[in-house]
Amino acid sequence: MSSAEALSEHRRMLCRRRVRFAALLCAALFLTAIWRLGAGEWNIPASRVAALLNPFLDESMRALPEALVVRTIRLPRLLAAVGCGGLLAVAGAVLQGLLTNALAEPYTLGIAAGAAFGGALGFFIDSYAIVPMAFVGAMSSLWLVSLIALRGGGGASGIVLAGVIMNAILSAGVTFLKAIADDRLGAIVLWLMGSLSGASPAAAAVVWGASLVLLVPAFVCARRIDACSLSEGQGELLGIEEKKLRWLMLTASSLATAAVVSFFGIIGFVGLVIPHLIRSFIGPSTRPLIVFCFLAGGLLLALADGAAQAMGELPVGVITALIGGPFFCWILISRNRP
Amino acid sequence: MILYSFDALNAGYGEKTVIDGISGGIKGGRITALIGPNGGGKSTLLRLLGGLGSYKGTLSLNGREVSGMTRRDFGRIVGFLPQNINVRAAFSVYEVISLGRLPFHGALEPVGQKDDEIIIESAELAGVGHLLFRKVTELSGGERQRVLFAMTLAQKPNVFLLDEPTSALDPSHAHRIFSLLRILASEGKSVVAAVHDLNSAVSFCDDYIALRSGKIASCGEMARLDEKILYELYGIRFCRYRSEDGKTAWHPE
Repeated sequence: MSSAEALSEHRRMLCRRRVRFAALLCAALFLTAIWRLGAGEWNIPASRVAALLNPFLDESMRALPEALVVRTIRLPRLLAAVGCGGLLAVAGAVLQGLLTNALAEPYTLGIAAGAAFGGALGFFIDSYAIVPMAFVGAMSSLWLVSLIALRGGGGASGIVLAGVIMNAILSAGVTFLKAIADDRLGAIVLWLMGSLSGASPAAAAVVWGASLVLLVPAFVCARRIDACSLSEGQGELLGIEEKKLRWLMLTASSLATAAVVSFFGIIGFVGLVIPHLIRSFIGPSTRPLIVFCFLAGGLLLALADGAAQAMGELPVGVITALIGGPFFCWILISRNRP
Repeated sequence: MILYSFDALNAGYGEKTVIDGISGGIKGGRITALIGPNGGGKSTLLRLLGGLGSYKGTLSLNGREVSGMTRRDFGRIVGFLPQNINVRAAFSVYEVISLGRLPFHGALEPVGQKDDEIIIESAELAGVGHLLFRKVTELSGGERQRVLFAMTLAQKPNVFLLDEPTSALDPSHAHRIFSLLRILASEGKSVVAAVHDLNSAVSFCDDYIALRSGKIASCGEMARLDEKILYELYGIRFCRYRSEDGKTAWHPE
Protein backbone atom coordinates (compact mmCIF):
# COMPACT_ATOMS: atom_id res chain seq x y z
CA MET A 1 0.00 0.00 0.00
CA SER A 2 1.43 3.42 -0.94
CA SER A 3 1.72 6.21 1.63
CA ALA A 4 -1.13 8.14 -0.05
CA GLU A 5 -3.43 5.10 0.13
CA ALA A 6 -2.41 4.45 3.74
CA LEU A 7 -3.21 8.10 4.53
CA SER A 8 -6.68 7.83 2.96
CA GLU A 9 -7.36 4.63 4.90
CA HIS A 10 -6.11 6.26 8.14
CA ARG A 11 -8.41 9.26 7.54
CA ARG A 12 -11.43 6.99 6.98
CA MET A 13 -10.62 5.07 10.17
CA LEU A 14 -10.30 8.33 12.16
CA CYS A 15 -13.57 9.62 10.71
CA ARG A 16 -15.43 6.40 11.58
CA ARG A 17 -14.03 6.49 15.15
CA ARG A 18 -15.04 10.14 15.62
CA VAL A 19 -18.54 9.61 14.23
CA ARG A 20 -19.07 6.65 16.58
CA PHE A 21 -17.78 8.65 19.56
CA ALA A 22 -19.94 11.69 18.67
CA ALA A 23 -23.01 9.46 18.28
CA LEU A 24 -22.32 7.92 21.69
CA LEU A 25 -21.99 11.35 23.37
CA CYS A 26 -25.09 12.72 21.62
CA ALA A 27 -27.12 9.66 22.66
CA ALA A 28 -25.92 10.04 26.26
CA LEU A 29 -26.80 13.75 26.18
CA PHE A 30 -30.25 12.95 24.79
CA LEU A 31 -30.94 10.37 27.52
CA THR A 32 -29.64 12.78 30.16
CA ALA A 33 -31.94 15.50 28.81
CA ILE A 34 -34.96 13.15 29.03
CA TRP A 35 -34.02 12.35 32.62
CA ARG A 36 -33.36 15.93 33.66
CA LEU A 37 -36.52 17.33 32.03
CA GLY A 38 -38.83 14.57 33.20
CA ALA A 39 -37.60 13.54 36.64
CA GLY A 40 -37.80 15.57 39.83
CA GLU A 41 -40.27 16.38 42.59
CA TRP A 42 -42.91 16.07 39.90
CA ASN A 43 -42.23 13.18 37.47
CA ILE A 44 -43.44 13.97 33.96
CA PRO A 45 -43.38 11.26 31.22
CA ALA A 46 -41.01 11.84 28.31
CA SER A 47 -43.85 11.99 25.75
CA ARG A 48 -45.54 14.72 27.80
CA VAL A 49 -42.24 16.62 28.12
CA ALA A 50 -41.82 16.49 24.32
CA ALA A 51 -45.34 17.87 23.86
CA LEU A 52 -44.75 20.66 26.40
CA LEU A 53 -41.50 21.69 24.67
CA ASN A 54 -43.30 22.31 21.37
CA PRO A 55 -42.40 25.92 20.46
CA PHE A 56 -45.89 26.42 18.98
CA LEU A 57 -47.66 25.37 22.18
CA ASP A 58 -50.82 27.45 22.62
CA GLU A 59 -51.11 29.99 25.42
CA SER A 60 -53.51 27.98 27.57
CA MET A 61 -51.16 24.98 27.61
CA ARG A 62 -48.15 27.21 28.41
CA ALA A 63 -49.87 28.36 31.59
CA LEU A 64 -50.22 24.78 32.91
CA PRO A 65 -48.08 24.15 36.02
CA GLU A 66 -46.26 21.21 34.42
CA ALA A 67 -45.47 23.36 31.34
CA LEU A 68 -44.09 26.08 33.60
CA VAL A 69 -41.91 23.55 35.45
CA VAL A 70 -40.50 22.07 32.23
CA ARG A 71 -40.15 25.28 30.21
CA THR A 72 -39.05 27.84 32.81
CA ILE A 73 -37.26 25.75 35.45
CA ARG A 74 -35.96 22.42 34.12
CA LEU A 75 -35.09 23.43 30.53
CA PRO A 76 -33.08 26.56 31.51
CA ARG A 77 -31.30 24.52 34.20
CA LEU A 78 -30.42 21.76 31.71
CA LEU A 79 -29.29 24.28 29.07
CA ALA A 80 -27.23 26.17 31.66
CA ALA A 81 -25.58 22.92 32.82
CA VAL A 82 -24.72 21.80 29.27
CA GLY A 83 -23.52 25.30 28.30
CA CYS A 84 -21.41 25.77 31.46
CA GLY A 85 -19.87 22.29 31.30
CA GLY A 86 -19.13 22.56 27.58
CA LEU A 87 -17.68 26.04 27.92
CA LEU A 88 -15.41 25.15 30.87
CA ALA A 89 -14.15 22.02 29.10
CA VAL A 90 -13.38 23.94 25.88
CA ALA A 91 -11.62 26.70 27.85
CA GLY A 92 -9.46 24.03 29.55
CA ALA A 93 -8.64 22.32 26.23
CA VAL A 94 -7.66 25.58 24.54
CA LEU A 95 -5.55 26.87 27.43
CA GLN A 96 -3.78 23.55 28.01
CA GLY A 97 -2.80 23.46 24.33
CA LEU A 98 -1.87 27.09 23.98
CA LEU A 99 0.15 27.29 27.20
CA THR A 100 1.63 23.77 26.75
CA ASN A 101 0.69 23.08 30.35
CA ALA A 102 -1.41 20.09 31.43
CA LEU A 103 -2.76 21.99 34.45
CA ALA A 104 -3.81 25.17 32.67
CA GLU A 105 -7.52 26.03 32.84
CA PRO A 106 -9.41 29.21 33.75
CA TYR A 107 -9.42 28.23 37.43
CA THR A 108 -5.69 27.57 37.78
CA LEU A 109 -5.04 30.88 35.98
CA GLY A 110 -6.73 32.86 38.74
CA ILE A 111 -9.79 33.88 36.71
CA ALA A 112 -12.24 31.96 38.89
CA ALA A 113 -10.54 33.23 42.06
CA GLY A 114 -11.00 36.78 40.73
CA ALA A 115 -14.70 36.09 40.14
CA ALA A 116 -14.99 34.53 43.60
CA PHE A 117 -13.38 37.57 45.23
CA GLY A 118 -15.53 40.01 43.23
CA GLY A 119 -18.72 38.03 43.92
CA ALA A 120 -17.95 37.72 47.63
CA LEU A 121 -17.36 41.47 47.73
CA GLY A 122 -20.73 41.87 46.00
CA PHE A 123 -22.45 40.22 48.98
CA PHE A 124 -21.32 43.22 51.08
CA ILE A 125 -22.93 45.67 48.65
CA ASP A 126 -26.22 44.20 47.45
CA SER A 127 -27.53 40.88 46.12
CA TYR A 128 -27.83 42.50 42.67
CA ALA A 129 -24.14 43.39 42.79
CA ILE A 130 -22.94 39.76 43.05
CA VAL A 131 -23.06 38.87 39.34
CA PRO A 132 -21.56 42.11 37.96
CA MET A 133 -18.94 42.22 40.74
CA ALA A 134 -17.95 38.61 40.01
CA PHE A 135 -17.57 39.47 36.33
CA VAL A 136 -15.48 42.55 37.13
CA GLY A 137 -13.38 40.45 39.53
CA ALA A 138 -12.65 37.82 36.87
CA MET A 139 -11.65 40.37 34.26
CA SER A 140 -9.54 42.35 36.78
CA SER A 141 -7.75 39.15 37.69
CA LEU A 142 -7.02 38.48 34.00
CA TRP A 143 -5.73 42.05 33.65
CA LEU A 144 -3.38 41.61 36.62
CA VAL A 145 -2.19 38.20 35.41
CA SER A 146 -1.51 39.75 32.00
CA LEU A 147 0.35 42.66 33.53
CA ILE A 148 2.58 40.41 35.65
CA ALA A 149 3.18 37.94 32.80
CA LEU A 150 3.97 40.69 30.28
CA ARG A 151 6.51 42.25 32.64
CA GLY A 152 8.11 38.81 32.79
CA GLY A 153 8.31 38.49 28.99
CA GLY A 154 4.80 37.22 28.20
CA GLY A 155 5.81 33.57 27.93
CA ALA A 156 3.41 30.67 28.50
CA SER A 157 5.07 29.54 31.73
CA GLY A 158 5.01 33.16 32.98
CA ILE A 159 1.23 33.31 32.44
CA VAL A 160 0.67 30.06 34.35
CA LEU A 161 2.91 31.18 37.23
CA ALA A 162 1.26 34.62 37.37
CA GLY A 163 -2.12 32.85 37.43
CA VAL A 164 -1.05 30.59 40.29
CA ILE A 165 0.18 33.59 42.30
CA MET A 166 -3.00 35.57 41.59
CA ASN A 167 -5.07 32.53 42.55
CA ALA A 168 -3.28 32.34 45.92
CA ILE A 169 -3.65 36.07 46.64
CA LEU A 170 -7.33 36.23 45.68
CA SER A 171 -8.16 33.02 47.56
CA ALA A 172 -6.64 34.63 50.64
CA GLY A 173 -8.81 37.67 49.91
CA VAL A 174 -11.93 35.48 49.76
CA THR A 175 -10.97 33.87 53.10
CA PHE A 176 -10.61 37.35 54.58
CA LEU A 177 -14.04 38.39 53.30
CA LYS A 178 -15.55 35.20 54.74
CA ALA A 179 -13.91 35.95 58.09
CA ILE A 180 -15.61 39.36 58.30
CA ALA A 181 -18.88 38.29 56.65
CA ASP A 182 -20.89 37.65 59.87
CA ASP A 183 -24.44 36.65 58.83
CA ARG A 184 -23.56 36.72 55.11
CA LEU A 185 -21.07 33.84 55.55
CA GLY A 186 -23.53 31.03 54.72
CA ALA A 187 -24.68 32.69 51.51
CA ILE A 188 -21.10 33.37 50.38
CA VAL A 189 -19.98 29.79 51.08
CA LEU A 190 -22.98 28.34 49.23
CA TRP A 191 -22.42 30.62 46.22
CA LEU A 192 -18.71 29.78 46.13
CA MET A 193 -19.46 26.05 46.02
CA GLY A 194 -21.37 26.50 42.77
CA SER A 195 -24.94 25.59 41.98
CA LEU A 196 -27.20 25.57 38.93
CA SER A 197 -30.41 25.39 40.97
CA GLY A 198 -31.41 29.00 40.29
CA ALA A 199 -30.69 28.97 36.56
CA SER A 200 -33.02 31.41 34.83
CA PRO A 201 -33.71 31.45 31.06
CA ALA A 202 -31.72 34.72 30.88
CA ALA A 203 -28.72 33.17 32.68
CA ALA A 204 -28.82 30.13 30.37
CA ALA A 205 -28.91 32.47 27.36
CA VAL A 206 -25.90 34.42 28.69
CA VAL A 207 -23.94 31.17 29.17
CA TRP A 208 -24.68 30.03 25.61
CA GLY A 209 -23.73 33.47 24.31
CA ALA A 210 -20.49 33.25 26.28
CA SER A 211 -19.88 29.79 24.77
CA LEU A 212 -19.98 31.35 21.31
CA VAL A 213 -17.48 34.02 22.42
CA LEU A 214 -15.05 31.17 23.10
CA LEU A 215 -16.06 28.53 20.55
CA VAL A 216 -15.88 30.73 17.43
CA PRO A 217 -12.27 31.98 17.86
CA ALA A 218 -11.18 28.56 19.19
CA PHE A 219 -12.58 26.83 16.11
CA VAL A 220 -11.11 29.41 13.71
CA CYS A 221 -7.66 29.39 15.38
CA ALA A 222 -7.59 25.63 16.04
CA ARG A 223 -4.71 24.78 13.67
CA ARG A 224 -2.65 27.67 15.04
CA ILE A 225 -3.29 26.42 18.58
CA ASP A 226 -2.05 22.99 17.42
CA ALA A 227 1.22 24.54 16.25
CA CYS A 228 1.70 26.39 19.55
CA SER A 229 0.93 23.23 21.54
CA LEU A 230 3.96 21.42 20.03
CA SER A 231 6.18 23.43 22.39
CA GLU A 232 6.52 27.04 23.49
CA GLY A 233 7.82 29.18 20.63
CA GLN A 234 7.10 26.60 17.90
CA GLY A 235 4.11 28.61 16.66
CA GLU A 236 6.36 31.61 15.96
CA LEU A 237 8.53 29.40 13.73
CA LEU A 238 5.47 28.44 11.71
CA GLY A 239 4.46 32.02 11.01
CA ILE A 240 2.08 32.58 13.94
CA GLU A 241 2.01 35.68 16.15
CA GLU A 242 2.03 33.43 19.20
CA LYS A 243 1.69 36.14 21.86
CA LYS A 244 -1.28 37.77 20.10
CA LEU A 245 -3.01 34.41 19.71
CA ARG A 246 -2.35 33.59 23.37
CA TRP A 247 -3.91 36.84 24.58
CA LEU A 248 -6.87 36.54 22.21
CA MET A 249 -7.73 33.05 23.46
CA LEU A 250 -6.97 33.92 27.08
CA THR A 251 -9.36 36.89 26.88
CA ALA A 252 -12.09 34.80 25.19
CA SER A 253 -11.68 32.02 27.79
CA SER A 254 -11.76 34.52 30.64
CA LEU A 255 -14.88 36.30 29.36
CA ALA A 256 -16.66 32.97 28.95
CA THR A 257 -15.55 31.64 32.34
CA ALA A 258 -16.42 34.92 34.05
CA ALA A 259 -20.00 34.55 32.75
CA VAL A 260 -20.24 31.03 34.23
CA VAL A 261 -18.72 31.87 37.62
CA SER A 262 -20.72 35.10 37.93
CA PHE A 263 -24.04 33.29 37.62
CA PHE A 264 -23.32 29.87 39.06
CA GLY A 265 -20.24 30.11 41.31
CA ILE A 266 -17.13 27.92 41.23
CA ILE A 267 -17.62 24.67 39.31
CA GLY A 268 -14.20 23.04 39.33
CA PHE A 269 -12.51 20.10 37.60
CA VAL A 270 -14.64 20.10 34.41
CA GLY A 271 -12.06 22.24 32.58
CA LEU A 272 -9.22 20.07 33.85
CA VAL A 273 -10.55 16.53 33.53
CA ILE A 274 -12.63 16.56 30.33
CA PRO A 275 -9.85 17.74 27.93
CA HIS A 276 -7.46 15.06 29.26
CA LEU A 277 -10.14 12.40 28.97
CA ILE A 278 -11.16 13.37 25.43
CA ARG A 279 -7.52 13.64 24.27
CA SER A 280 -7.00 10.02 25.32
CA PHE A 281 -9.81 9.00 22.91
CA ILE A 282 -9.36 11.26 19.88
CA GLY A 283 -5.85 12.76 20.20
CA PRO A 284 -4.72 16.35 20.78
CA SER A 285 -5.83 17.97 17.50
CA THR A 286 -7.68 21.11 18.66
CA ARG A 287 -10.58 21.33 16.18
CA PRO A 288 -12.17 17.95 16.92
CA LEU A 289 -11.05 18.28 20.54
CA ILE A 290 -13.14 21.39 21.20
CA VAL A 291 -16.25 19.84 19.63
CA PHE A 292 -15.98 16.68 21.72
CA CYS A 293 -14.98 18.61 24.85
CA PHE A 294 -18.11 20.75 24.52
CA LEU A 295 -20.31 17.66 24.24
CA ALA A 296 -18.56 15.72 27.02
CA GLY A 297 -18.26 18.74 29.36
CA GLY A 298 -21.95 19.49 28.90
CA LEU A 299 -22.85 15.85 29.53
CA LEU A 300 -20.70 15.61 32.68
CA LEU A 301 -22.13 18.78 34.23
CA ALA A 302 -25.72 17.87 33.34
CA LEU A 303 -25.22 14.48 35.03
CA ALA A 304 -23.46 16.04 38.03
CA ASP A 305 -26.24 18.61 38.38
CA GLY A 306 -28.81 15.82 38.28
CA ALA A 307 -26.91 13.96 41.00
CA ALA A 308 -26.59 17.17 43.06
CA GLN A 309 -30.33 17.77 42.79
CA ALA A 310 -31.17 14.15 43.64
CA MET A 311 -29.04 14.44 46.80
CA GLY A 312 -31.05 17.40 48.08
CA GLU A 313 -29.54 20.27 46.07
CA LEU A 314 -25.91 19.71 47.00
CA PRO A 315 -23.56 22.27 45.40
CA VAL A 316 -22.70 20.92 41.94
CA GLY A 317 -19.05 22.02 42.41
CA VAL A 318 -18.77 19.42 45.18
CA ILE A 319 -20.03 16.66 42.86
CA THR A 320 -17.70 17.62 39.98
CA ALA A 321 -14.73 17.72 42.38
CA LEU A 322 -15.68 14.35 43.91
CA ILE A 323 -16.03 12.72 40.46
CA GLY A 324 -13.28 14.69 38.73
CA GLY A 325 -10.51 14.38 41.31
CA PRO A 326 -10.23 10.58 41.47
CA PHE A 327 -10.94 10.35 37.73
CA PHE A 328 -8.05 12.71 36.99
CA CYS A 329 -5.78 10.55 39.17
CA TRP A 330 -6.87 7.50 37.18
CA ILE A 331 -6.09 9.26 33.87
CA LEU A 332 -2.63 10.24 35.16
CA ILE A 333 -1.83 6.73 36.40
CA SER A 334 -3.10 4.93 33.29
CA ARG A 335 -1.36 7.38 30.93
CA ASN A 336 2.04 6.96 32.57
CA ARG A 337 1.74 3.18 32.98
CA PRO A 338 4.43 1.46 30.87
CA MET B 1 24.12 36.73 -3.91
CA ILE B 2 23.92 38.03 -0.35
CA LEU B 3 21.08 36.43 1.64
CA TYR B 4 21.58 38.02 5.03
CA SER B 5 23.62 41.09 5.80
CA PHE B 6 24.19 42.53 9.25
CA ASP B 7 26.01 45.51 10.61
CA ALA B 8 26.88 46.35 14.25
CA LEU B 9 24.42 43.62 15.28
CA ASN B 10 23.88 43.49 19.02
CA ALA B 11 21.57 41.23 20.99
CA GLY B 12 21.29 39.55 24.37
CA TYR B 13 19.10 38.45 27.22
CA GLY B 14 18.43 41.09 29.88
CA GLU B 15 21.73 42.72 30.77
CA LYS B 16 23.83 39.97 29.17
CA THR B 17 25.17 40.69 25.68
CA VAL B 18 25.32 37.50 23.59
CA ILE B 19 25.89 38.95 20.10
CA ASP B 20 28.38 41.77 20.39
CA GLY B 21 28.35 44.22 17.49
CA ILE B 22 29.06 41.79 14.65
CA SER B 23 29.07 42.79 10.99
CA GLY B 24 29.11 40.63 7.88
CA GLY B 25 26.90 38.63 5.59
CA ILE B 26 25.70 35.16 4.61
CA LYS B 27 25.59 34.09 0.95
CA GLY B 28 22.49 32.50 -0.55
CA GLY B 29 22.38 29.08 -2.22
CA ARG B 30 25.10 27.73 0.05
CA ILE B 31 25.43 25.86 3.32
CA THR B 32 26.92 28.03 6.04
CA ALA B 33 28.05 26.44 9.29
CA LEU B 34 27.99 28.42 12.52
CA ILE B 35 30.78 26.95 14.61
CA GLY B 36 32.32 27.82 17.94
CA PRO B 37 32.34 26.89 21.61
CA ASN B 38 29.22 26.64 23.78
CA GLY B 39 27.83 30.05 24.72
CA GLY B 40 29.54 31.68 21.75
CA GLY B 41 26.24 33.03 20.35
CA LYS B 42 25.44 30.50 17.57
CA SER B 43 21.85 29.77 18.67
CA THR B 44 21.17 33.46 19.39
CA LEU B 45 22.43 34.47 15.94
CA LEU B 46 20.25 31.76 14.36
CA ARG B 47 17.22 33.06 16.28
CA LEU B 48 17.92 36.60 15.08
CA LEU B 49 18.21 35.34 11.48
CA GLY B 50 14.82 33.70 12.02
CA GLY B 51 13.31 36.99 13.16
CA LEU B 52 13.05 35.87 16.78
CA GLY B 53 14.18 38.33 19.43
CA SER B 54 15.04 42.00 19.35
CA TYR B 55 18.36 43.43 18.29
CA LYS B 56 20.28 46.66 17.81
CA GLY B 57 22.07 47.48 14.57
CA THR B 58 20.87 46.33 11.18
CA LEU B 59 19.95 42.86 9.94
CA SER B 60 18.39 42.31 6.54
CA LEU B 61 17.09 39.25 4.68
CA ASN B 62 17.11 39.63 0.90
CA GLY B 63 17.42 43.39 1.44
CA ARG B 64 14.43 43.66 3.82
CA GLU B 65 15.04 44.67 7.42
CA VAL B 66 14.19 41.65 9.55
CA SER B 67 12.46 43.67 12.30
CA GLY B 68 9.96 44.97 9.70
CA MET B 69 8.87 41.50 8.56
CA THR B 70 5.84 39.67 9.98
CA ARG B 71 5.89 36.15 11.40
CA ARG B 72 3.85 35.00 8.41
CA ASP B 73 6.55 36.38 6.07
CA PHE B 74 9.10 34.29 7.96
CA GLY B 75 6.87 31.22 8.00
CA ARG B 76 6.73 31.31 4.21
CA ILE B 77 10.42 32.01 3.59
CA VAL B 78 12.32 30.49 6.51
CA GLY B 79 12.18 26.97 7.93
CA PHE B 80 13.63 26.94 11.45
CA LEU B 81 14.56 23.75 13.26
CA PRO B 82 15.33 24.57 16.89
CA GLN B 83 17.49 22.51 19.20
CA ASN B 84 15.94 19.97 21.60
CA ILE B 85 12.20 20.42 21.13
CA ASN B 86 10.28 18.36 23.64
CA VAL B 87 6.89 17.72 22.01
CA ARG B 88 4.47 16.79 24.81
CA ALA B 89 1.23 16.62 22.83
CA ALA B 90 0.56 13.15 21.40
CA PHE B 91 0.10 14.23 17.76
CA SER B 92 0.67 11.69 15.01
CA VAL B 93 3.78 12.17 12.88
CA TYR B 94 1.51 13.11 9.96
CA GLU B 95 -0.21 15.81 12.04
CA VAL B 96 3.12 17.32 13.10
CA ILE B 97 4.52 17.42 9.56
CA SER B 98 1.25 18.85 8.23
CA LEU B 99 1.73 21.87 10.52
CA GLY B 100 4.59 22.85 8.21
CA ARG B 101 1.94 23.80 5.63
CA LEU B 102 0.29 26.23 8.09
CA PRO B 103 1.92 29.45 6.76
CA PHE B 104 0.30 28.82 3.37
CA HIS B 105 -3.24 28.18 4.62
CA GLY B 106 -6.16 30.37 5.63
CA ALA B 107 -7.56 29.77 9.12
CA LEU B 108 -10.31 27.38 8.00
CA GLU B 109 -8.60 25.96 4.92
CA PRO B 110 -8.15 22.19 5.20
CA VAL B 111 -5.01 20.25 4.29
CA GLY B 112 -5.46 19.51 0.57
CA GLN B 113 -4.23 16.77 -1.73
CA LYS B 114 -1.25 18.86 -2.87
CA ASP B 115 -0.32 19.41 0.79
CA ASP B 116 -0.59 15.67 1.41
CA GLU B 117 1.87 15.00 -1.43
CA ILE B 118 4.32 17.51 0.09
CA ILE B 119 3.87 16.01 3.58
CA ILE B 120 4.50 12.45 2.38
CA GLU B 121 7.50 13.55 0.29
CA SER B 122 8.97 15.45 3.28
CA ALA B 123 8.43 12.48 5.60
CA GLU B 124 10.18 10.14 3.18
CA LEU B 125 13.09 12.54 2.60
CA ALA B 126 13.62 12.80 6.36
CA GLY B 127 13.38 9.02 6.75
CA VAL B 128 10.13 8.97 8.75
CA GLY B 129 7.73 7.90 5.99
CA HIS B 130 7.17 4.57 7.74
CA LEU B 131 6.23 6.34 11.02
CA LEU B 132 3.45 8.53 9.58
CA PHE B 133 0.67 7.33 11.90
CA ARG B 134 2.72 6.76 15.05
CA LYS B 135 2.34 9.15 17.99
CA VAL B 136 5.30 11.53 18.11
CA THR B 137 5.52 11.07 21.89
CA GLU B 138 6.28 7.36 21.38
CA LEU B 139 9.32 8.02 19.19
CA SER B 140 13.00 8.11 20.13
CA GLY B 141 14.83 11.45 20.34
CA GLY B 142 16.44 10.90 16.94
CA GLU B 143 13.17 9.94 15.25
CA ARG B 144 11.51 12.99 16.78
CA GLN B 145 14.27 15.24 15.46
CA ARG B 146 13.74 13.80 11.98
CA VAL B 147 9.97 14.38 12.24
CA LEU B 148 10.57 18.04 13.08
CA PHE B 149 13.05 18.27 10.22
CA ALA B 150 10.35 16.82 7.94
CA MET B 151 7.97 19.53 9.21
CA THR B 152 10.57 22.14 8.24
CA LEU B 153 10.91 20.52 4.79
CA ALA B 154 7.11 20.63 4.39
CA GLN B 155 7.28 24.42 4.69
CA LYS B 156 9.18 24.39 1.37
CA PRO B 157 11.27 27.33 2.58
CA ASN B 158 13.99 29.11 0.63
CA VAL B 159 16.08 29.42 3.77
CA PHE B 160 16.75 26.66 6.31
CA LEU B 161 17.95 27.69 9.76
CA LEU B 162 18.98 24.60 11.69
CA ASP B 163 20.22 24.54 15.27
CA GLU B 164 22.35 21.41 15.61
CA PRO B 165 20.11 19.42 13.23
CA THR B 166 21.92 16.14 13.80
CA SER B 167 22.59 16.34 17.55
CA ALA B 168 20.31 13.34 18.34
CA LEU B 169 21.00 11.35 15.17
CA ASP B 170 23.18 8.30 14.54
CA PRO B 171 25.96 8.70 11.91
CA SER B 172 23.83 7.12 9.18
CA HIS B 173 20.87 9.46 9.65
CA ALA B 174 23.14 12.47 10.22
CA HIS B 175 24.84 11.69 6.88
CA ARG B 176 21.44 11.36 5.23
CA ILE B 177 20.28 14.76 6.53
CA PHE B 178 23.48 16.55 5.48
CA SER B 179 23.36 14.88 2.05
CA LEU B 180 19.80 16.13 1.70
CA LEU B 181 20.90 19.64 2.68
CA ARG B 182 23.58 19.44 -0.04
CA ILE B 183 20.88 18.58 -2.60
CA LEU B 184 18.71 21.46 -1.36
CA ALA B 185 21.66 23.86 -1.66
CA SER B 186 22.30 22.64 -5.22
CA GLU B 187 18.64 23.54 -5.98
CA GLY B 188 19.32 27.11 -4.81
CA LYS B 189 18.08 26.84 -1.22
CA SER B 190 20.16 28.45 1.51
CA VAL B 191 21.10 26.66 4.70
CA VAL B 192 22.54 28.12 7.89
CA ALA B 193 23.25 25.50 10.55
CA ALA B 194 24.80 25.68 14.00
CA VAL B 195 27.08 22.64 14.02
CA HIS B 196 29.27 21.10 16.72
CA ASP B 197 30.46 18.19 14.58
CA LEU B 198 33.39 19.82 12.79
CA ASN B 199 33.87 16.90 10.41
CA SER B 200 30.27 17.07 9.16
CA ALA B 201 30.73 20.82 8.76
CA VAL B 202 33.94 20.33 6.76
CA SER B 203 32.40 17.60 4.60
CA PHE B 204 29.09 19.24 3.76
CA CYS B 205 29.26 23.01 4.32
CA ASP B 206 30.52 25.64 1.90
CA ASP B 207 31.19 28.49 4.34
CA TYR B 208 31.67 28.97 8.04
CA ILE B 209 31.20 31.70 10.61
CA ALA B 210 33.17 31.06 13.80
CA LEU B 211 31.62 32.74 16.83
CA ARG B 212 33.37 33.17 20.15
CA SER B 213 32.04 35.31 23.02
CA GLY B 214 29.46 36.93 20.74
CA LYS B 215 32.02 38.10 18.17
CA ILE B 216 33.01 36.70 14.79
CA ALA B 217 36.42 35.12 15.39
CA SER B 218 36.77 34.11 11.75
CA CYS B 219 34.64 33.51 8.66
CA GLY B 220 34.99 32.50 5.04
CA GLU B 221 35.00 29.43 2.85
CA MET B 222 35.23 26.13 4.71
CA ALA B 223 38.46 25.24 2.89
CA ARG B 224 40.16 28.13 4.73
CA LEU B 225 39.56 26.57 8.15
CA ASP B 226 42.93 25.68 9.69
CA GLU B 227 44.61 24.62 12.94
CA LYS B 228 45.26 28.21 14.02
CA ILE B 229 41.62 29.27 13.68
CA LEU B 230 40.43 26.17 15.55
CA TYR B 231 42.97 26.71 18.33
CA GLU B 232 41.85 30.34 18.74
CA LEU B 233 38.23 29.23 18.72
CA TYR B 234 38.26 26.26 21.08
CA GLY B 235 41.54 26.72 22.99
CA ILE B 236 42.81 23.23 22.11
CA ARG B 237 44.98 21.96 19.28
CA PHE B 238 43.45 19.99 16.39
CA CYS B 239 45.15 17.61 13.96
CA ARG B 240 44.12 17.52 10.33
CA TYR B 241 43.79 14.15 8.58
CA ARG B 242 43.26 13.61 4.88
CA SER B 243 41.73 10.50 3.38
CA GLU B 244 42.90 9.03 0.06
CA ASP B 245 40.00 10.67 -1.76
CA GLY B 246 41.02 14.08 -0.40
CA LYS B 247 38.43 14.50 2.37
CA THR B 248 39.54 16.38 5.49
CA ALA B 249 38.87 15.37 9.09
CA TRP B 250 39.76 17.22 12.30
CA HIS B 251 40.50 15.61 15.63
CA PRO B 252 41.63 17.18 18.90
CA GLU B 253 45.21 16.30 19.73
